[in-house]
Amino acid sequence: MTAAQAPATSRPSPAVRRPGLATGRLLRLELRHNAMPWMVPVAVALFWFITYRKSMALPPLWNVRAVTLQSGAVVDFATPVVGAAAWMGSRDGRRHITDLVAVAARPRWARQLATWAATTCWAMVAYLGCAAILYGVTARQAAWGGPLWWPAAVAAASLPAFSALGFAAGWFFPSRFTTPVVAIAAFFVLALTTQPIRGSQSYWQVSPLVAYPWDIGPEPGVATFYRYVPDLSIAQLMLVAGLTMAALGALGLPAGSGDRWLRRSAAAITAAGLLAAGTAVALAGTGRLDAHGMIAIPALHDAAIDHPIRYHPVCSHGPIPVCLNPAYTVYLPAVAAALEPVLSQVARLPGAPVRISQAAATYRQGPGNMVGIEVAGPLLSGRPPVFHLLLPDQLLGPTLTVSQLAAQVRSSAGPDIVAGVIGGGTGGRVSQAQQAVTAALSAAGGDLPGHASRGTSPGRTGAGTPCGQCVANKVSGRLAPGTPVFDAAVRFAALPAAARHAWLAAHLPALRAGRIALAQLP
Amino acid sequence: MNVEISDLTRKFGRTLAVAGVDLQTGPGVFGLLGPNGAGKTSLLRMMATVIPPSSGRLCLLGRDPGSYGPRREIRRRLGYLPQTLGYYPGFTVAEFVEYFALLKETPPARVPAAVAAAVERVELGGQAKAKLRTLSGGMLRRVGIAQAIVSEPELLLLDEPTAGLDPEQRVQFRGLLREIGQRATVVVSTHLVEDIGAACTEVALMDRGKIVFHGTPDELTARGAGYGVGDAPLERGYSAVLAAARS
Repeated sequence: MTAAQAPATSRPSPAVRRPGLATGRLLRLELRHNAMPWMVPVAVALFWFITYRKSMALPPLWNVRAVTLQSGAVVDFATPVVGAAAWMGSRDGRRHITDLVAVAARPRWARQLATWAATTCWAMVAYLGCAAILYGVTARQAAWGGPLWWPAAVAAASLPAFSALGFAAGWFFPSRFTTPVVAIAAFFVLALTTQPIRGSQSYWQVSPLVAYPWDIGPEPGVATFYRYVPDLSIAQLMLVAGLTMAALGALGLPAGSGDRWLRRSAAAITAAGLLAAGTAVALAGTGRLDAHGMIAIPALHDAAIDHPIRYHPVCSHGPIPVCLNPAYTVYLPAVAAALEPVLSQVARLPGAPVRISQAAATYRQGPGNMVGIEVAGPLLSGRPPVFHLLLPDQLLGPTLTVSQLAAQVRSSAGPDIVAGVIGGGTGGRVSQAQQAVTAALSAAGGDLPGHASRGTSPGRTGAGTPCGQCVANKVSGRLAPGTPVFDAAVRFAALPAAARHAWLAAHLPALRAGRIALAQLP
Repeated sequence: MNVEISDLTRKFGRTLAVAGVDLQTGPGVFGLLGPNGAGKTSLLRMMATVIPPSSGRLCLLGRDPGSYGPRREIRRRLGYLPQTLGYYPGFTVAEFVEYFALLKETPPARVPAAVAAAVERVELGGQAKAKLRTLSGGMLRRVGIAQAIVSEPELLLLDEPTAGLDPEQRVQFRGLLREIGQRATVVVSTHLVEDIGAACTEVALMDRGKIVFHGTPDELTARGAGYGVGDAPLERGYSAVLAAARS
């Protein structure tokens, strides 16, 4: 073909073309005739059954709810969004309308982007609605803190990526079977991305499903005492943005998508997207579990956010007040009640803590998937001494009910409090007398879960009289029956509380120094 | 000339669908006749810029569609109705026509009036809000014609436009073609010679990828004088030319 010189007919050039208005009209048509609205109820139902109900079963802590939102919403929306986008992407091929749209003046890429944008808009509206409800309910329930936006942003940014990938699959393979195949594939690919995660330096944790160190799960203590570290979120945003760009750019690569400039732009966008996605994966591989339970990526980390969050603790009233982070206000009555029997045993003794104060957990990545979680420093420290309490739901394990949490506090913190007061003897060794007194006080304080009876102190009858057999049962949980230490512990625990307290007040310094022999115990 | 074609060929693998076609035409209604497999649709698809030619020269509306910029300008001024009309079943008549008006980059301010006019011209004003999935085959064909004319094209390419239309609609459609042909070039590919006789000012007959006749309908009719195959004079001319070309 050769170029001709002048138009044969002379129609005046069309009136001013306003691309924005035309694109708006096109988008309106695509929004009206999109497959995604049919999938919105499916996505919302999945969100309700999987994410919302699970979130509501968790403590009303912003961090827990936010990370659950990210992981859950990504799973809930991935399949419907990918499926709907693939259906829309394959529309022209399925409807045998390719010839008709091929002669359109508007570049094919622009038309495709309008269809993709409409699909993504519907998905985004549905997600934002779900997230708003979840955060709204959390705002009403949470005692302290505010919403975490990074996890919500990662989930939101994942939707355009899913939509773009599904749309591209539908466009390049326009068959009615493409939709179910890519929808199912999306689910399994997402699920499989978390399987290879080993430790905190895994490249796979860049998966948008991962909102927290995968080995320890959604930790209530994380991002409560320290600010949320967004390093992993930033890497994930880079990944999903890169995938979005790569998929959308790929649509503009084939001949007929537009002019040379437009196709070069598409190629540049594709390359930039792939680069961003690759960089994100590489960055995620350099992540490490920080001391506060979050993934820090050195290249992205801002050390300025590592300072602890200031808060005014909420405290119980009693001889030894129990103080918790205000986010845990709902647990305060249960925790205080659980510790009260133990605290009453040691209150006003020399060296007893003046306050039980909730502490932040310190996390340490071990080999493989092992993670160590503990309190930094001694449990009992300071002048006057303060006992640092780590709540059980800051540790590994399933979410606890309030009563389960109280029972665990009693069994884990109770003996620690007693041991902190009684001491470990000289040279770090625990004398037999210390063992006996610790066991006796712990038993008297009801540290053994399952042995406590409602309305009565463990080891006592309903009338408050020491019960010898009950005390023996309690002590037998800590010491081997029949040994001199056991006998001494039973004997000491069977004393009236006032007598025990009086003896300890008089002999505690000697007992702590290891100068009291077993036989000297009353 | 709105259409200037010289030595145009198109191959699909080893099959030569269009074999060195020369054609020039200006405003008016141009009929493209020929038996099945003659190459009419391939020629029309090249003229519609759906497929590029294998060789030869193609100039549409004074522009070379081989480059993107001129091709885009041609497409703005082009209307095309393919032989098989695909459609989006969920769209209404008006929405479908509006969609293609927007794809043809019709100025947005003109779109509503252009859509309404196009729908009225194919006698579908009463069904403007009907979903395409509810329409009959003939109505869908008229929707296809409406989308082809919505941007007031300077070059209108119609592949079997009257297939599925009832006699009354075909008569009305011919009137529409004559009206559009007064200011634009309309190329109609059809098997129905009566459409050619009633609406076209020029006609070309294709066979085996080549144009074997180019003239007016009257000239084609004259070729059939004394030839016995065919019920109507134009059909006899059609048959006579084909027989001569194949002999």
